[in-house]
Amino acid sequence: MKESISSREWFQRNLNTIIPVTGLILLLIGLRIANPYFLTSWDSVITLVYGMSFFLVAACGLTLVILMGSFDFSVPSVLKLSAMIFAVLYPSIGFLSIPAALAVSSIFGFVNGLLLARFNIPSFMVTLATSMIAEGAAQVISGGYTRMITDPAFRALSTTMIAGLPSIFYWTITIWLISIFLTFVTPFGRAIYAVGGNLVGARLAGINVKMVRILTFMVCSLFAGFSGILYASQIQAGHMQVGVLDMIPLFASVVVGGTALTGGVGGVHRTLLGVLIIRWLDSGLSMLAIDLNVRMIVFGAIAIVMAILTIDRRRIKIMK
Amino acid sequence: MSSNLRKGAVTLPILTSAWRLIRGNPAIWAIFGLVIIFSSIVTERFLSSSNLVAILKNFAVTSMLAVGPTFVILLGSIDVSYMGIWMFGGALVWLLYPYLGLASIFIYPIFGLLIGLFNGVVHVKAKIPSFILTLAMTAVLAFLTTYVRNISGVLTLTVPAYNFLRESPIPYLPSPFLLSLPTIAISIFLMFFTKLGTYLCAIGSNEEGAKLAGINVEKYKILAFMFSGFLVGLGSIAIFVHLGNQTRVDFDPSELVRGLAAIVLGGTPLAGGMGGPHRTLLGALVYVLIFNGLFLLPGVDPNHLKLYIGALLLGAVVIASKALKGALIA
Amino acid sequence: MDIQKQLLEAKNISKTFDNVVKALDAVTIEVRKNEILSIVGENGAGKSTLMKILVGVYPPDSGELYYIGQRVPFPRNPIEALRRGISIVYQERGVIPHLKVYQFLFLGLEEKFTRLGRLQLEKIIGIAKSVFDELGVRCDLSSYMYELPLSTQKMVEIARAILSIRLAISDGEASDITPIIILDEPTAPLSIEERDELFQYLLNLKKNNSFIFVSHIIPEVMKFSDRIYVLRDGKLVAHHDLSVEKISEDQLFREIVGRVSYYELYGGHEYGRAEAEGRPILLSVRNLTKKGYYQDITFDVREGECIGLFGPAGCGKSEIAKTLYGELLADSGKLIVGNKEIDIKGEPHSRLRRGIGYFSGETGKELFLYWPIRKNVSIVNFEKIVRRPLKIVSVISFRAEKTLAEKIVKKLRIKAPSVDTECYSLSGGSKQKVSVGKWLEKSPKILILEDPTIGIDVGAREDIYEVLLEMKKNGISMILVSDDPKEYAILCDKIVLIRDGKIQKLYANEEFRKVMEL
Repeated sequence: MKESISSREWFQRNLNTIIPVTGLILLLIGLRIANPYFLTSWDSVITLVYGMSFFLVAACGLTLVILMGSFDFSVPSVLKLSAMIFAVLYPSIGFLSIPAALAVSSIFGFVNGLLLARFNIPSFMVTLATSMIAEGAAQVISGGYTRMITDPAFRALSTTMIAGLPSIFYWTITIWLISIFLTFVTPFGRAIYAVGGNLVGARLAGINVKMVRILTFMVCSLFAGFSGILYASQIQAGHMQVGVLDMIPLFASVVVGGTALTGGVGGVHRTLLGVLIIRWLDSGLSMLAIDLNVRMIVFGAIAIVMAILTIDRRRIKIMK
Repeated sequence: MSSNLRKGAVTLPILTSAWRLIRGNPAIWAIFGLVIIFSSIVTERFLSSSNLVAILKNFAVTSMLAVGPTFVILLGSIDVSYMGIWMFGGALVWLLYPYLGLASIFIYPIFGLLIGLFNGVVHVKAKIPSFILTLAMTAVLAFLTTYVRNISGVLTLTVPAYNFLRESPIPYLPSPFLLSLPTIAISIFLMFFTKLGTYLCAIGSNEEGAKLAGINVEKYKILAFMFSGFLVGLGSIAIFVHLGNQTRVDFDPSELVRGLAAIVLGGTPLAGGMGGPHRTLLGALVYVLIFNGLFLLPGVDPNHLKLYIGALLLGAVVIASKALKGALIA
Repeated sequence: MDIQKQLLEAKNISKTFDNVVKALDAVTIEVRKNEILSIVGENGAGKSTLMKILVGVYPPDSGELYYIGQRVPFPRNPIEALRRGISIVYQERGVIPHLKVYQFLFLGLEEKFTRLGRLQLEKIIGIAKSVFDELGVRCDLSSYMYELPLSTQKMVEIARAILSIRLAISDGEASDITPIIILDEPTAPLSIEERDELFQYLLNLKKNNSFIFVSHIIPEVMKFSDRIYVLRDGKLVAHHDLSVEKISEDQLFREIVGRVSYYELYGGHEYGRAEAEGRPILLSVRNLTKKGYYQDITFDVREGECIGLFGPAGCGKSEIAKTLYGELLADSGKLIVGNKEIDIKGEPHSRLRRGIGYFSGETGKELFLYWPIRKNVSIVNFEKIVRRPLKIVSVISFRAEKTLAEKIVKKLRIKAPSVDTECYSLSGGSKQKVSVGKWLEKSPKILILEDPTIGIDVGAREDIYEVLLEMKKNGISMILVSDDPKEYAILCDKIVLIRDGKIQKLYANEEFRKVMEL
């Protein structure tokens, strides 16, 4: 017999959908008022696409890890490293540098997952360390210089116009769709939700938790690597600008979309919403000429608030 | 004959307790090992007086950000707000100097205490995970610091009036090191001579059991955060002086790792229950020795610092998890 | 009743929770000086409720308390109980592993030894030493609690309970008060040798203290108690003074369990069929050993047979079941499923692949409460609903999933609006049905059942028994571990009696019923 729930309870339970949707609508209205050309001109759409796409790819990967109940700090750093490898190796081996960059990215994911699965080291700690390694490696490879690539084929990867939109858009949408497919339709996706939703239950149901963890982290880092490649192609360079600081808007977009930190709730479909919100917010704030630092604080604050609202308190008896 | 016996009666207990100390704190091995290795490879540069002074300075700077947060780690929680307290506290000193004069330096421990109190209360009452909360706190404070610098039109936030603090009255002991001593002393006192150390370990080891034993868990959690913030604030004075009477104005999140590394290297498990600031001090020393010696070695590029730190932290965390497995109950 | 020796009397204690559950119904017990008093009963009989009332965790709805003949109010909190001379050692989670012995001993009691915020460690250690000498505890005060063997840990807990009473009572009254220490299932985590050690300790301490021993474990209770109270369903059903009467273990057992015979409904079910028909042996357990828990466990399970592992709490039956499933690792021995030997160091997911499933009645553990029924059913049944359109990628067919879930809901008569209903909103019995339903569908070779019907109503319980019996008929083998002997009588063909980690005897279903007088 199902207990009927009060409307208040329904509201609370679906908070993680109500807030992002409302936020998006408010932002849309606000930005339209501030800038009448927002989204009405095709150019502004393209700008949005360029701002969002690589970001969404990385956010998809991070979402998978968070769904599983873990955390991955190393995403922006792996992104940077991958972009750097792509840019540095491209002059010598052309597009073969892509599999190289992706391979390196996956290794980071493998290490992250392995250390968590085998040694039970908290994921934030492991990924904090690997993020530093990735940052350091990027620094070593680049020698501190930004690597500009003038070869038009390099930028063609992300910027070729197809049906009015740059190719990066199609890459991104494909990855996003693949993620959705993965999480909703495959047993592996179910396993990710299971591990995040009830670790003991997942184990008792015969899920190989260690394997799931390792694979998910690998996918996440792979996506991060791919994002780096797309980004490098988009700006025609591998540079050190992107980095650990971007963790904040990245994390914010996952959480704002409605994926709970505790895991097992939310999904990649929501992350699209979250990325839109964060990017639009960013545009809006920079239009108001607000200092970057204040913007970061805003993202951080939003992320915290949203994270707190969506955390499943019932599951965590002792909050550390 | 009898004097020999008496000597033995005194030396033996000292030796056994020394042995127990070494066994309980594996970091000591690391320190011995590092000193020996580096002394043999790059003897003149490592053992030079200027290098030893540099080691003491770095030790002070590293430990000040780690000793306070150790109390929170004992609980099994995490406190990374040290970076924010350090950065913005310095901005506050700069901001308040025109009004309070030299007394404005004392805003540091007060500010740290308040931030710690805030962290503790919010964590306990609103049940927000400590990691997210303190990370957010540090980010907010760090960004605020940069913002302050940006709108005030100066390049750095220096307060030259404190230059007198830079000179140390004792030769070979640099002033940042001397300024770090009060923090070290207070933390050791808190840990070993009051209930705080015991209660925090109890909560970290078995929170439910601690509650059953009648400990006011909420109160002590808040106290842990408070003291963490206070000690960081107090210790930041040493860093302030070390950096030339100014605070850092650019937020580099990878600096966060330093404090955590010192704690992990010292042998305090992240799950809490045992360890303490005494271990963190050793860990800070290990950290400092590694990087000091490493960069004296020929062929090692200081630009690769981040890479080494990351690798070190990773290695330390893995070894710590395996080594401490024996001490953790399944 | 010898008034001289009477210490505490709790009269007509009643307590009801949430206006529904009557935990205690006019229970009267008496505690005497210098005795070991045991309170026994099943889960939910009311033992811990009664103890919690005595130590002030909550008040009773009605009842009176007398201390040495004088009427006194019930303690309002544990501190007041301490001042009254009553303290408790909890069953689990009472020990703080990372503290040193002397730190744990004085935890929460340091007020008297603090000056200006500074702990007087020398004084504390001095008192600790003298207390340990007096009570006969042998251990190093500066070792960590986790370094001590479990029985010593329990002794330290008991010493702490006595010490906290002494410190709570203001000086002057100290010598008059005989402390009453409540021990809640103290021996459950201990090995056999450690239990004996603990009991010697208690017998020694009896000279100056009284103990209330709450337990399930009949042999110990019989051996070491002076008197026994039996609680059942919140009522006091028996009192035995072992100094004047002799009772048998079986008699005590029957008093605890009571006589119920609703399983007669299952009289039509034939037990021992699998053996009679000569069905093949599916699971062979050989010499399974885990130090401190069980030893040399050997038995066979045939296809379609249900074996019950029966014994008092702490006998090792749960641990054996967990080992079979892979949650616990044995030290040595063999496990053979079908013809293949299983790695005893393997993990749950590999066991499932070999055909061993595990069903626990604790739904919080196993069920994904925020998932709909269909997902909970399909989580172990992917092979039934997965398609491979592109050979490398497996895809879940939602239609197949829905059909599967609906089949189960119908079969088990689960009361839910649809298969998309999230499980947290279902009643306890329905949750259990969803859980068992997935196994019904999965049809593993062997299903391990641990407390399958814990905490659910009679109607749902019968439905689940029906399902399990049907699975048995279909050739699924089962191993049952439970606290309810009636369950064994209903489900099992053979029952293995386990005591102190060793197999004592093997009963056929009929024999078991006779012995249990069910």
